[in-house]
Formats: sequence, C-alpha cells, structure tokens
Amino acid sequence: MTTIRIGRRAALAAGVAALASPAVVRAQADPIKLATLTPLTGAGGPYGPVMAKAAASVVEEVNKAGGVLGRRVVLVSEDDQTNPEAAVRAARKLIDVDKVSAIMGTWASSVTTAVAPLCWESKTFLCTVSGADSITLLPHQGFLIRTQPNSKLQVTRVGEFILSLGAKKAFTMIPQTPFTQSTFDILNQVLPKGGCTHQSLIYDDKKTTYRTEVDQALRTSPDVILANGYTPDTVVLLKDLYRAGFKGKVLGFAYSINQKLVDQVGQPEVVEGVYTFAPSPAEGSSAFEKAKAASGSANPDPYTCQVYDHINLVLMAMANGKAATGEAIKENIRKATVSGGKIVDNAVDGIKEIMAGGKVDYAGASGPCDFDEKGDILDCKFRYDQIKAGKFTLVKIA
Amino acid sequence: MLSYLLFIATIGGIYGLLALSLNLIWGGVGMVNLGLAGFFAVGAYASALLTTIGHAPIPAGWLMALVAGGFAGLVVTLSTTRLREDYLAIVTLGFAEAVRLIASNEIWLTRGTDGISGIPGPWKRALGPDFNAVYFLIVVLALLVVFFLMRRIDRSPYGRALRAIREDAQVAQVAGKPVLRFKTEAFVLSAAIAGLAGALYGHFTSYIAPDMFLPLITVYIFLAVASGGTGRPAGALVGAYMVMTLLESSRFFVEWIPGVTAVQRAALKELLIAVALIVVLRLKPSGILPERMPPAPRPS
Amino acid sequence: MIILQALVNGIVSGTLLAVPAIGFTAMFAVLRFPNFSVSGVATLGAFAGYLAYGAGLQMAGSLAAAFAVAGIAGLAFDKVAHLPLIKQGALPAAIASIATGLILENVVRLGFGNEPRGYDRPIARDVFIGDIRVSPQQVETMGLALLLMLLVFTALAFTRIGKAMRASADNPELAALKGIRPERIAMLASFVGMGLVGVGGMLLGLDSSIDPLTGTRILLSLFAAAVLGGLGSVPGAVLGAFLIGMAEELSVLVVGSQYRAAVGFVAILLVLTLRPRGLLGERAY
Repeated sequence: MTTIRIGRRAALAAGVAALASPAVVRAQADPIKLATLTPLTGAGGPYGPVMAKAAASVVEEVNKAGGVLGRRVVLVSEDDQTNPEAAVRAARKLIDVDKVSAIMGTWASSVTTAVAPLCWESKTFLCTVSGADSITLLPHQGFLIRTQPNSKLQVTRVGEFILSLGAKKAFTMIPQTPFTQSTFDILNQVLPKGGCTHQSLIYDDKKTTYRTEVDQALRTSPDVILANGYTPDTVVLLKDLYRAGFKGKVLGFAYSINQKLVDQVGQPEVVEGVYTFAPSPAEGSSAFEKAKAASGSANPDPYTCQVYDHINLVLMAMANGKAATGEAIKENIRKATVSGGKIVDNAVDGIKEIMAGGKVDYAGASGPCDFDEKGDILDCKFRYDQIKAGKFTLVKIA
Repeated sequence: MLSYLLFIATIGGIYGLLALSLNLIWGGVGMVNLGLAGFFAVGAYASALLTTIGHAPIPAGWLMALVAGGFAGLVVTLSTTRLREDYLAIVTLGFAEAVRLIASNEIWLTRGTDGISGIPGPWKRALGPDFNAVYFLIVVLALLVVFFLMRRIDRSPYGRALRAIREDAQVAQVAGKPVLRFKTEAFVLSAAIAGLAGALYGHFTSYIAPDMFLPLITVYIFLAVASGGTGRPAGALVGAYMVMTLLESSRFFVEWIPGVTAVQRAALKELLIAVALIVVLRLKPSGILPERMPPAPRPS
Repeated sequence: MIILQALVNGIVSGTLLAVPAIGFTAMFAVLRFPNFSVSGVATLGAFAGYLAYGAGLQMAGSLAAAFAVAGIAGLAFDKVAHLPLIKQGALPAAIASIATGLILENVVRLGFGNEPRGYDRPIARDVFIGDIRVSPQQVETMGLALLLMLLVFTALAFTRIGKAMRASADNPELAALKGIRPERIAMLASFVGMGLVGVGGMLLGLDSSIDPLTGTRILLSLFAAAVLGGLGSVPGAVLGAFLIGMAEELSVLVVGSQYRAAVGFVAILLVLTLRPRGLLGERAY
C-alpha cells in the first residue's frame, strides 16, 4: 500500500494534481468503500431510505469534485431490515467482502448493539443515530460515534419542557422500545421536582386504534400528554386523542411528529397546537440546506441530517488522516471540527481546504459535531416547535 | 472474504439445524411448525441468560437451550397434537409472536428490546481472529451429531412408525401405534433442536434481541426444507445452505438492477425468496434430494 | 365505566375484524386449508381502496375496488400456487400461501414504499351517548361492515349459488353428486373470500393508516376469531371476531396494551384445549 507511505507534501501535490486534472483521469486508484446500513424495511422503514439517499448524494458530489485522496468513493447501501439478525449478516458482508472502512446510519439500538462488535473487532468505523444510553458504553475502542444525544439527556430536556408548559399532571404514552423504561425513570425523577405528577402507559405499536388506551390516559385528566412513539402509531394516537376531545397539550418527538405525519393526518385541527421536540437543531444553517438538497426532502428528519453529517465527517477524517482506513477515521474524526478552522458545511469544501493544508470546522446539518471520548455528542441544543395551522413554527432553540 | 464465508457457513449451519428440526416433524410426521423462530428464540434466551446472569459454563447453557426448547414444544403440543395440522400451524404462528412479546416486555428477565449483549463465546479471547473458524467447527460438530441422530431415527422402526402416521394417522392408530405419543415426542425433539440452534446463534454473535426472531426466518427454513427435500435429513441440510447462498447472493445481484430505490431493492429480495418457495413447491415438491423409503426389514 | 367504554370500542373493532374473518373461514370451509396469504391480500385491498378513493371514487366504489382487486389476486394465487398443491395435503398449500402473502406485501412495498398513508377522510370529534364515547366515522365504517355481512348471509342463505356453496362445504362428494361443480365453487370461494379480506383491510385502514404491514398486523386476531368460532363456520367467525375485539380492548385495562397481540394466541390455546371444534362447531353455516 503505497498511499500510506506518501508524505504530506507528496499527498498535497497529489491532491493538487488531482484537482487540476480532469475528472476522468482522477479516481484511477482503487475506490474507497463506505457503507450505509439503514433500515429499508421493518419498523425503521419510513426513515432508512431517505438516510441512504442523503449519503449517496454527498458521495456523488464528492466524486464529481474528484473524490478524496485522489480516489473515487463508492457507497454501498445495505438494508438492516430493522432486524439485528439480518443486520449482522449485512455488516459481515460489508466488512469482509466490500471491505468498507466505515458503516453509517444504523438506526435501531438493537441493530447498533449487534453490529458494533463486528466493527471494532475489524477496525471498521461505525457512525450511528441510535439513542440508547448503553451504546457508547460498549467497549468500542473509539470506533464508534453517535450524533444522537443519548436518551437520558433528551428525556431530561423533555421533562423540563413539560414543566415549562406549566403542567401539573403529565401522562406518557409510549410503545415498548429500548427507551421506554429509562423514559419513565427519568420523567418520574424530573417532573415531581417541578410539582407535576407523572403517569404512563405502554401501548402496542401494531394496533389500528388506541381508543381504549386514550380513555385510560384521559381518566387521569392529564394536562400534558407525551406521545412518544414513531410516525405510524403516533398518527393513529393523535387522531384518537382528537376524537376523544382532549383539550390539554400534546408533546412529541420531531422524528415522529413531522411534516409527513401532518400531511398524513390531513386535517390541521387534529394536530393544532402540538409541540414537537428535536435533539438536532441547525435548521436554517447552510449544512441543513445542503442536507435538504441531498435528501430531496423539504423537511429532512434529524436522522437524515445526522447521516449527512456522518458521511461528511468520515470523508474529511480520511482526508485529514491521508488514509482511507477505519483506523484513520477513528484517529481523525474529531479533527473535522477544529475550532478556529475554516467553517465548512460539506465535504467537498472541507476536503479542498484540508488538501490545501488548512484546518476545517465542520458545522453540520444536525448541529456542531463535537464528540466526547466515549463517542457521545457534546452539543446539546434542542429545538421546540409548535404546529400552527398545519405548519411547524419555532418556539425556541435552547 | 474468507472470514465472510466462514461467517456465512456458520450461520448456514445454524439454519441447517433449524432445517433438520423442521424436517423431523414436517418430513417425518407431517406436522408443521410455523413458530420455528419462537423456539429458536427460546433456546437463544435460555442459554444467554444462564451464561450471562447465571455465569454458568457455555455447555450448560446449550443443555439448557435443549431443555427449554423441548419444554416449549411440549406446552404447544399438549393443547394441539390431538388436533389437525392446520390448527397446529395457527397455534405455532401465534406461539412465535407470544415469545417475542414476552422477550420484549419482561424486562426484568430478558432486558426487553435492549437485548442481551456480551454473551460469551467459547475461548473467544484466547482465539482472537480464529474464533470464527473454531466456532464453525463447533457448529459443524453439532450439525453432524443431530444429522446422524436424524438418520438413525429415519431408518429405525420408530422412523417408519412416524412415516406411517404421516401417511395415514388413522391406519397407524388402528395398527396399534400410539399416534399421540409419537407426534408429541417428535415435536418436542424438534423444538429442542431448534432451541439448540438458537443457543449456538447467540454465543456466536454475542448479542440477541427480540427483533432477531422474526417470522421471516421461519419462511427461510421452510424454503430450505422444501427445496432440499422433505423427509430426508441430507436434503434439509443441502436446502439450508442453498437458502443461505440465495439470501447472501441476492445481496450482490439486486445491486445491479438499475433504477430501483433501496426500499424496492429490499422488497425485491423478499419477493425472490417467496417466489422461490412457490416455484419449488410447485415444480419440484420432492426437493432435490427426494425421500428414500428404506425397505422394511425382512422377517427372519 | 371505562370497562363499558372498552367493550364498546371492542365491538367496533370486532365488527371490522369480522369481515376478513368471514372471508378467511369461508375459504377454509370450501378449500380446506388455512390460507395465510390473507395478510398480504388485506394489505392489497387496503391499497386498492386507497387508490380508488384518491382517484375520486365514493366510499362504495372504493370498497368495490378493494373487493375486486383482492378477489382477483386471491383467485389467481389459489389457481397458480395453492390449489395445485392441495392434492398433497393442506400443509403444502398453507405453506405456499405464506409465500404468496409475502409476495403481495412486497409488491405493495415495491409500489408504495414503507411510509404509512391515510385515507383523506375528515376526522370528527366523538359524540357522547350517555357517558359512552362513539366516533361518528367508526359508526359509519361499522355500518358498512354490518351491511356487507348482511349481504353475505343473505347470499349464503337464499341464493342458489350460496346454497351450493354451503352444500359443497358440508360434503363435497354429495354436492358433486347433486351436480354442483366443485371447481366453480372453489373459484367462487377464493374470489369472494379474498374480496372480503381485501375489504376488511380497507375498513381497518380507513380510520387509522395503511402500509405494507397492515395485513400482517391483523393476522393473528383474524385467525383467533376464526378458530374461536370454529374454523369454517361463517356465523362462528362473526361471533369470534366480536369476542376477540372485546377481549383485546379489555386486555388493555387488565394486562396492559403491550400484550394485546397475545390475546389472540391465548384465546386460540384456550379454545383448542377446552372446545376443540370452536364455539359454533365447524359446519359452514
């Protein structure tokens, strides 16, 4: 492998030469292989395809601009089926056959937990959007980052927001997920401190109606309901809350209560006044606009923004490390966000700056991408919206 | 590439165990188990819990998986064996769903949807990268033991009795065979093997979660047994590897279909499996290794 | 109070469940194998109705579209995949039907993706009758389901073809001797049975949302309804559907919503242990 031994000046020269030569001549060497492993089917099915698409567009742009380290980038996209068994097989194929240096976009916490050992054992870098607290506690030796704030932080913020709404009796409706228990535990801690009682109910996310569940919740006459499911079940839940004439406030996560949900409900008064909460701000930032274009979606969800950041970070890490290995990504992933560096919002500009010997400070679509040593994201800005006449209007970013 | 192939061969071997398990009752007695994924899960959880929380040695976990799988099989058959196979199909389908619900919701026992991580693998630390190869050999060994056991059964008077029940339970009953007992025994043994397969799976990947045991696995195994040949252990094995090859190679060629999105590609992959199952059932119902009826021993 | 409300909710969902359950059990009565492709067909029907409704058809027209598309698909799959296998027994046919169900699910996924979709129907607030809350739309949907069931019962009881169907289900040999052509009856059962399953998928999706897994979600409840009432018994399926609907809603209060999906399984186990032929036995009518 000669590329590893090329000195900095040589690499610089090669980079400049690559930029100068026409696109056809570039990318002669073996392509660099990266992968997305997102849910295209199963429970995560509504999220994965857009995530994969966003990453693919970034790679396309980078290739158009000459690739990275003078090599073309090939993005392999596999389906994890929202199923750890299938995900493990897919990851093995990505690692052993495609020999990708990074896997991005694992969504379900169970999938990430299943795939992570394969990654660190084979020195493949893993970027995930799963929020379960346990993930960054795995012995991953640095081969893992996550752009999603962990659930403890998120739920604490949700609790504080519920209190700021002046709630006295809060009720949580949630399906059984890796976050369910921790959500209860945290809210039971946070809410009473602000003088608010908390009750909760676990529902079956496969049901076609939640009338009885809603009755059960309303019997406690709550003034705030936290609807904490995914889009398909939350649609049904919100409709049934409306039918039941619930007059209090409803709050949910923006990954499930999004434009798609509003469109699908079809009737603005059903979702009128619903608050949404998103761990990833950066809306209005230039990277967010880029992520919009890359995903072909007017309102990319936080996961899509995060995958947009994964691929950009990984590409810039390889440029910084002058090598396309998982090890190089691990060593350099935090060098794409050097304070004082040139502020960039995409890998094309970033790679150009790095190859010219500069430093970059990537401002991502999901926010600033600084990670602690465990791989957890440091930034903890959250965005609160309220739906008014079918439109999401900003309440605050804090 | 080699480690990928080893990995696939190991998973293929575990599917092979499941196929042998299904073959015993489907090919052997003419019963069906649409809840194979459920018994697979029971074994995986039994062994994982015993070896992680219980700190028991791995072989004890595997033994436990056999027992737990068999016990689950007994529970299911107790209410259904005297009834027809169509009821059994529905009950077993429900059983797999119930297992998944329990695994997801009884967090105190199963850690819920988080799943159980850090399931120990035999000599994993000492072996390092060779672990996959050694584990493959372990699975092959398990496969051989079960395979020869199946062959023994297949060729024994017991096996002939099972087949007689499959062909005509009433005649077998009249001929004095304890049909109900035979059916129950076969089902329990089959469920135990599926449980063992689950345990082998868990200790290989080091992590299990309720999402792993979806009904789709059962469909794969049915395709394996149907294509390999029902009623013959070797057929089930060959079938399992054929399905594994189909599953994994479809990954490679759906990438070549132009103009489809990722979701469509995933849908095409599942379509392919389903169509293959129907084609096999329609065109080659006896599978590629058709059943051989061993001649009855001559009276001496 | 909340128990009464749960029972009312259960009756509503039971009525909707009854439609596909009738379809499933009627097919079983005539064709003698459990057709697992009902999951895929229900999804297909829901999407066919969705397209028709989106194209501007009225409710009746959309239901007819769901019925026709699902019926034709069911008929085609029975002809090509299931019935040729029935000679080898009920099992191969049942297994093939799992595969055809998977095919339909993925055909829908191929065309529509995974995103849930909703019928563009106005959502109204519930009205209170005493202390009991009912949704006007669900009453409407329930009315449609009841009307449909009435139609089926009338057809089975009074038309020549309905009588022939019952005769054939009760005793195929005898029916054949009387000049009833079994293939025709089989075709009719496939078409009407799956048509009902398709309509059921649409009715269940009307007030919630539909996606490629719509049918799979109701599969176990549907089987439970049919087995509870006695596999092959049409009135039994209706009774079973009501009981399962109510039991599932009550289970939310008793063991919690997360175990709702197990209600069907437990019901099946109980019935098979205590009353193996179902509540109303296995006679078709």
